[in-house]
Amino acid sequence: MSGTFVTLVAAEIERPSIDWHAIAPELILLGGGALVTVIDLIWLERVRKLIPTLTSLVFLVALIPVITLWADGSGLPRGLWIIDENVPATGVWEGAFVVDNYSLVLKGLFLLSAYVIVLLSTNYMSEGDYYDSEYYQLIAASVLGMLVMSSSRDLISIFVALELVSIPAYLMAAWRKRDLKSNEAGLKYMLMGVFASAILLYGMSLLYGIAGSTLLSDIAAAIDIGESRPVITLGIVFTIIGFGFKVSAVPFHTWAPDTYEGAPTPLTAFLAVASKAAGFVALINVVIVALPTQANVVEPFIWVLAAITMTVGNLIALRQTNLVRMLAYSGVAQAGYMLAPLAVYDGISDRATSAVVTYLVIYAAMNLGAFAVVIIAARKTRSAELSSYGGMFNYAPGLTLAMTIFLFSLAGIPPVGGWWAKFEVFRVLTEGNRTSGIALAVIAAVNSVIAAFYYLNIAKQMWFLPSPDGDNSRIAIPPALLAAVGLTVAATIVSGVLPGVVSDMTDFVNVAAGQ
Amino acid sequence: MMELIVFVISAAIVLGGALGVILFRNPVHAALSLIASFFGVAVLFVSQEAHFLALVQVVVYGGAIVVLFLFVIMLLGVDREEDITEEPFEGQRVSALVSGVLIFAMLMAGIFLSGRTGDDAGDFGPAAISGSSGQVVPLTEEQDVVQLGHDLFTRNILAFEATGLLLTIATVGAVVLVRNRGAEDLVVDEPGTSSR
Repeated sequence: MSGTFVTLVAAEIERPSIDWHAIAPELILLGGGALVTVIDLIWLERVRKLIPTLTSLVFLVALIPVITLWADGSGLPRGLWIIDENVPATGVWEGAFVVDNYSLVLKGLFLLSAYVIVLLSTNYMSEGDYYDSEYYQLIAASVLGMLVMSSSRDLISIFVALELVSIPAYLMAAWRKRDLKSNEAGLKYMLMGVFASAILLYGMSLLYGIAGSTLLSDIAAAIDIGESRPVITLGIVFTIIGFGFKVSAVPFHTWAPDTYEGAPTPLTAFLAVASKAAGFVALINVVIVALPTQANVVEPFIWVLAAITMTVGNLIALRQTNLVRMLAYSGVAQAGYMLAPLAVYDGISDRATSAVVTYLVIYAAMNLGAFAVVIIAARKTRSAELSSYGGMFNYAPGLTLAMTIFLFSLAGIPPVGGWWAKFEVFRVLTEGNRTSGIALAVIAAVNSVIAAFYYLNIAKQMWFLPSPDGDNSRIAIPPALLAAVGLTVAATIVSGVLPGVVSDMTDFVNVAAGQ
Repeated sequence: MMELIVFVISAAIVLGGALGVILFRNPVHAALSLIASFFGVAVLFVSQEAHFLALVQVVVYGGAIVVLFLFVIMLLGVDREEDITEEPFEGQRVSALVSGVLIFAMLMAGIFLSGRTGDDAGDFGPAAISGSSGQVVPLTEEQDVVQLGHDLFTRNILAFEATGLLLTIATVGAVVLVRNRGAEDLVVDEPGTSSR
């Protein structure tokens, strides 16, 4: 009986062997997350203090195969399967999951950001009255979604990865569950996110209907007809709108400020950096791999999104008096800069991808750093109001200096990181001397000036204005938060002074073909 | 011909059920007419020879999910008639109607204008979208369950596993969010970063 069964299965499925090395980062994260859950279930309160350390270790261990894959670049790109010429069904297996330099850089970025987020969360979570072990399990699951996203070249896995990133984030946004603002944050984020997913699915189903395949490369081949058709345009527009919600591009940004303000602050950092980066990765994968021939549809649409995103984000950020909300709107504006290279990707898709990923890497360092300072300051002031940052130089000069570095970087002032990110974007925009690119570069430049005003206003508050309540007692900074600030300061400075470090890694060749 | 008749009848049930969901005053009736709509879709699946999907459609959607809806309706005690003449937000109905009609018109125009236009560039119209132009791989003699299993455990194995994790983690999070340790009240302004 069982013999028949085995032969039946063997006849039905001739499966090539799995390339374990290529999916090792995902597997380690999955196993590590499960381990954290089980340990928490067995020993409960006794290991509560160890859970954050354990989770951050899982992230670091998962980084090891990312590095070995990178170092062993000879076999790249790899997929989920070791393709064997003797297996006839090869075509079916290829292309949905691709491990190349592009996805490895992103996996490294996601794992390191997650590590810093755990550092930021440790004290916040253990000092408040939260369910903290589950919080770390959710973070691990969300990061796993990001890793899968970096390698996905297929509509189904992109969608599942996007949901795996988002659903834990909806839950964590409401984690301060006895605070009405946090309830609002979670609910608003979930409703808008689900709405966006529905629109995204609609667009994807149109693309699938046209191509008859969910593989991005098959879609690219099916719509390569030298012109555009209304139904292709509809599919593209719906898909991009869906991603627009995830990256909080204007006019799909309305959830962002309330969610950012109400959510636990470490989670806000997670949303503003890692979750947003995952949305961008999905957008890049679809635009660069599936739509290289539809630039005449994609470019104008993204051009408009980028222009209004940076402008509206900056103008509203100018009026904010709460630093978390200001960082939320500044994050919206930064998303505009990151969208910009995709508005001129036709013919230079590798350069455009490099520029976006460079921006994502540097943005992660400086924005996580800024949130780290906000979390530290809130330990003393219990507030994120701009005025409560007055006089910080008097009682926390080191912290003030760190924040100033992050703010200069966000504003794009050399020599710290942000200028190189902006420089790359401008270089791509002006490459090829296209009117649309140069116009967008001008808009971005004007916006950088507006942004500099409110970023430097925060710095002014910290350096020159007196403390609002005259309380100049020092802030005790826990080691985890100190490490987070140290790491992000180092990354921000290095990426600005030695931009080659970042740009060597993000110099991609032939992303579309999966290398 | 037979297929057309089946299609027209089941499409009428799908649309009628969907209209019922938004027009019935009693939420229980709305949930029940959702079942009708799901059944119509199941019949459409059968006529496309996707028997397994039809079964799943009835068992999971018609059964489990609508029962869940009814549970929630009963638990919240809203099983009474709602006054649907009053709008929760001013102008909500009108703008919903206008945007619905616009999106519908846009989709229809998009699909029908993409049909063959005389050149050789290919057909992207209704035939392509519905799969009747032969772009969609037809079912082989294998049963669709076998094909579905094949697809799930080979090409889409990673997405499949990720979905499993997603369901687990959503359960964990949902339990945490609804769990109540004793009588705790909502604190409107917990110390933290929120300030207003």
